[in-house]
Amino acid sequence: MNTVIREDTVIKVEKILQDFIEESGATYALITDMGGNPLFTAGEEDFDVDTLAALSAANYATTKEIANLIKEDNFSLLFHRGNNENVHFAKITQDILMIVLFKPFLSLGLLRLKINSLQQKIVSIIGS
Amino acid sequence: MAIVNLKDKTIQIKIVYYGPGRSGKTTNLEFIHNKLQQNRNQHISKLVSIDTKGDRTLFFDFFPVSLGKINGFDLKLKLYTTPGQVKYEATRRLVLKGVDGLVFVADSLSSRQDANLESFENLKSNLLYHKQSLSDVKLIFQWNKRDIDENIIPLSTVEDMEKLLNSELKVQSFPASATSGMNVLKTVNYISKETVKSVIEKTILNKQKMST
Repeated sequence: MNTVIREDTVIKVEKILQDFIEESGATYALITDMGGNPLFTAGEEDFDVDTLAALSAANYATTKEIANLIKEDNFSLLFHRGNNENVHFAKITQDILMIVLFKPFLSLGLLRLKINSLQQKIVSIIGS
Repeated sequence: MAIVNLKDKTIQIKIVYYGPGRSGKTTNLEFIHNKLQQNRNQHISKLVSIDTKGDRTLFFDFFPVSLGKINGFDLKLKLYTTPGQVKYEATRRLVLKGVDGLVFVADSLSSRQDANLESFENLKSNLLYHKQSLSDVKLIFQWNKRDIDENIIPLSTVEDMEKLLNSELKVQSFPASATSGMNVLKTVNYISKETVKSVIEKTILNKQKMST
């Protein structure tokens, strides 16, 4: 089955992501499907978005398999800390993943709260 | 699962190279990537390989490539390989998620025919895991390593390999050599064209039909 994303859907979701970036101070936000295809983006990037989406989807899927292996549903936090940039992964729906890049001086807890509140907004636009 | 974005006018398509260990999937991708780098002025993304120190694919190789425009849409192809070794079943299954087109790279060595068959059966069961079957995706075969001197290492004939893997499906196949590049580009061109055609028929043309 293929997915066709309407123009108004892209505009609405990317506006939500852009607002999120401005409010939270995050660097970049990407929503990808679990197959590794970028769907919506906001923020400045100087890397290959397709590759980030492919590796993130693979990273998330691998972590989920590890959880299944040790009889966990999933891990509630998937996050990598870097010297200059952090990355946080959050499942939005069964098939959709959100990746947020942010600077290490930002609070992870606050960012996670904001991401959680975004989830409902995005699901109401793209459906579950 | 192809993604059609009506705002940015892009179509994203996922093509996966599948087959037994050491059949030449990574070599196919490396050859294509090198050729694109040599022949095109435009920027080509890096080939990402998640492999072991022994150079065996651990998770996948990947690179995206832009194919230009069709019906006003920018086509973006994502090429992946799967790990061939039996023990990497879990990661192999993950790479198949959302696949649109498949190249099954079969090893021509006589001694590897059981491995070809096992890998092909494994492909079918892994597609089932994602609630897909071979009829849902475009598939072609590549009979790789045809450049090997038969006097040194015995090879199966193309006819025998067709009989073993392609007698029921009767899909397109290419004898090839990923190391020398013989039919490597032909393989990727063919699977790209067929997959794009099928995706466009199912999405854009269908949508245009519905709106008229």
